[in-house]
Amino acid sequence: MSTSLKIVRIHNELLGTYGDQGNADVLSFRAKARSVEAGVLDVSYLDVMPTDGDIYLMGGAEDAAQLLSLEALQRDNNLQAALERGAVLLAICAGFQIIGNSFEASGKKVGGLGLLNIDSASGSNIGKKRFVGDIKIKSNVVGCELTGFENHAGYTTLGAGLQPLGSVVVGHGNGDDKYDGAVSGNIFGTYLHGPVLARNPEFADLLLSRAVGEPLEPFNDPLAIQYAEWRRKVTK
Amino acid sequence: MSAARLSFAIGLGRLASVISRVFLRKSGQTISGRIIIRLYPNSIKLLSAEKSVLLVSGTNGKTSTTKSLSQIVSSLGKVASNTTGSNLNWGVANALMNHAPYAVLEVDELHLPNVIAETNPKVVLLLNLTRDQLHRMHEVKRVADRWRDACTKATETTFVIDVDDPFLNYATQSSSQVVKVSFGGRRHPDGSVCPACGKYLNWSGGVYECSCGLNNKTADQTFPDGSAGYRNAVLANIAGEVMGAKPIDIDAKALERTITKEIGGSTATIRLTKNPASWTEALRGVDSNNVILILNARQVDGLDTSWLWDVSYASLKGKKVVVCGERGLDMAYRLHVEGIENTLVDSFEEAMSAFPAGSRVSVLAAYTAFFALASK
Repeated sequence: MSTSLKIVRIHNELLGTYGDQGNADVLSFRAKARSVEAGVLDVSYLDVMPTDGDIYLMGGAEDAAQLLSLEALQRDNNLQAALERGAVLLAICAGFQIIGNSFEASGKKVGGLGLLNIDSASGSNIGKKRFVGDIKIKSNVVGCELTGFENHAGYTTLGAGLQPLGSVVVGHGNGDDKYDGAVSGNIFGTYLHGPVLARNPEFADLLLSRAVGEPLEPFNDPLAIQYAEWRRKVTK
Repeated sequence: MSAARLSFAIGLGRLASVISRVFLRKSGQTISGRIIIRLYPNSIKLLSAEKSVLLVSGTNGKTSTTKSLSQIVSSLGKVASNTTGSNLNWGVANALMNHAPYAVLEVDELHLPNVIAETNPKVVLLLNLTRDQLHRMHEVKRVADRWRDACTKATETTFVIDVDDPFLNYATQSSSQVVKVSFGGRRHPDGSVCPACGKYLNWSGGVYECSCGLNNKTADQTFPDGSAGYRNAVLANIAGEVMGAKPIDIDAKALERTITKEIGGSTATIRLTKNPASWTEALRGVDSNNVILILNARQVDGLDTSWLWDVSYASLKGKKVVVCGERGLDMAYRLHVEGIENTLVDSFEEAMSAFPAGSRVSVLAAYTAFFALASK
């Protein structure tokens, strides 16, 4: 077990439009509560991506920012190298699309990082409206319901055999109204903002346990549980 | 024929307004505007034809700046204005029904393009453009693009902008008359991408310069930096000067949207807060050790509370913080993770009772919570 967790927040100045930077704060908070040292490192568009991170985070963005983030990630293979080493990645919304095979932004189709076997289209190009509102999914991966807020025009299809993060209970998710996100090994993608780890402490703990390589000791945080349960109850 | 129909529509609208005020105890500013626009879709254009129109828009500070600009322009003649913040099409139409040679109108960001096209304004004052109500606006760039279209077409209009905001600079880049005002540069919270060309925007402190040419290095007028209230006061005076009005002294504090209430022997100063930019500004202005934060997430507050995590509440550390509102739990948990002790209660009254009589309490209230308290 690593004694100190390095949480890497990727391009928050570009991928921070929808408040997803809070995911790093929640991970760090819940790690420290277990006496696991944790630090958040912000890596900007201009920086070189470190290869020694334990958890990498990507958030939602507008089109032009999404393209810039992709361009920066394609400068080197550092994120891929970290993931091959077993690092954890949580990618949300625009970040989720970036790590797929392809997506559409600013009216053009571009190739993504290919870390997940998914393809995303802009819903507006195929006559779909933007998906805006509260969302709830049932996640077998995490083992509970997850709530969040979605705000995207993206329509994502999963390659054969790829596992979604969960099935949609309320909202739209990947656009098919059935599933949200995708999971492959330690790579997690989703459309849930909220931030998703603030709304769903179980998901935060799953990512932390994957990063430290063993189950975490219990952490009783009544406020976190109250918040999560309340959102699950009222999102209908 | 059309004049008669317009008069009829105005008459009907006024009648509805009276009914709304007398029997429903509402402001009456929305209903008459809605009726007149329904009966006469062209009404904004017709009603503004004989007026010199000045428009004010931006994410934050619209209502108070509109009040100041109305005061400035009133030295030239009578002013029609939508002073209660009813800033959609019908609020604009309602204000224009008043007979006056001048109209100073606050306009919602998404309604601005339409109102510019219909009123052919003399002056448009653009204060700022940051993230707000993303469930409705979707993206900041999307709003800036719509503004740019409208601003480019308005060839007879003078735009007064805070050029330190790259989105405003971009929106008016192709406009014929622009007064660019700088406050020495200020890093824009959502300004990492050049709105004009999509490249990574180079910032050096508060100064931006893109290889495509967009920058705030050249301004027509430069002032020292200050609070948002102060900046809006300066901008209002410059907008007034374009019309030939003399600048007036404006108390920058008066441009903060605050009300004061005496409750249970304590004094609450309640400030309107809406989005990351206005929360950050409001937190900077907290001058008491007793703080109440009220969070709602209705339509005008923004349905998504994720942005709470984009604001640093570190300045509240060590203060007594009480949280309430329909989404108080979102705020309580966010503060909890930042390590700021707080108490979550069910109502504003209960929050006030947490402080001993005679306390001075700083209250930061979400949009709908602010107006609920203001009307009490």
